[in-house]
Amino acid sequence: MTRQARKRHHKGYTHIKKKYRTKRKTKDLDEIDEDLKPQHADKLLHQKVDFDKPGSAQHYCLHCARYFVDEGAMKAHFRQKTHKRRLKALEMEPYTQKEAEAAAGMGSYIQPKKRAMITQQPTQQPTEQDVTMNEAKDQT
Amino acid sequence: MRVEKCYFCSSPIYPGHGIHFVRNDSKIFRFCRGKCHKAFKKKKNPRKVRWTKAFRKGAGKELAVDNSFEFEKRRNIPVKYERELWQKTITAMARVDEIKQRREGQHIINRLKKGKELRKQRDILEVKKSIHLIKSPAAGLKERRAEEVQVIEEQDEEMAVAEEN
Repeated sequence: MTRQARKRHHKGYTHIKKKYRTKRKTKDLDEIDEDLKPQHADKLLHQKVDFDKPGSAQHYCLHCARYFVDEGAMKAHFRQKTHKRRLKALEMEPYTQKEAEAAAGMGSYIQPKKRAMITQQPTQQPTEQDVTMNEAKDQT
Repeated sequence: MRVEKCYFCSSPIYPGHGIHFVRNDSKIFRFCRGKCHKAFKKKKNPRKVRWTKAFRKGAGKELAVDNSFEFEKRRNIPVKYERELWQKTITAMARVDEIKQRREGQHIINRLKKGKELRKQRDILEVKKSIHLIKSPAAGLKERRAEEVQVIEEQDEEMAVAEEN
């Protein structure tokens, strides 16, 4: 066996630092919890066509706050570990400043409750192609 | 002026200390020091980090539910200054603190009692299992065997006497 290089393998901490930059900040669990409320969820699941977003913002996973390019990608995502882990994390009520204060001795500390978390129903939304097809039909 | 509580570890933040983070939905997060701020940025869950108050209360390490916690509150309506009220409050604060400390101490003592019991059980079991280390099972075996032989001989004699009769 040849001797392997032991130098110049350390790439620093940039990848860790980059992960925590506000530039790459994703939604926190308490924000997602707010999104799960019916009035917000409805808006997020039926967004207008936005060409800047992946899949024109037509395929959105509420729990993971992510856009997907198409229905298939989203369905595959629902079967993934990342999604299941996120569901598990959301089962507990979100941590708030109020809870922090209760833990500090301002009022009794009441244990957070667990609730059921289910993956959203894959909605049958008109895809881009359908829209263009319909437009074409209207014109004819 | 207000002594705020840290979002992550629930410790008091005195003026001039810590950091404020305002999220893009205008929610304010206050941190007592860099340690807590960093943990927040790493999306750590305060309920799962062992050194936070939320963990200690959630896991039953400290007294969580008690009436003595009902005195300290976020009061958004200012109270008009009254000399008598002020003096009473000062004395009451000391008394409340005393009671709170006693109850919290008692809670910890009660919690540790369980371990004492378990330790005793474990010790008894260990002695039972490894008594051979203190006293060999062969100790006094010869004498015991000899006694058994004697007893058998006596029984034989008795049997013989009974048969004769």
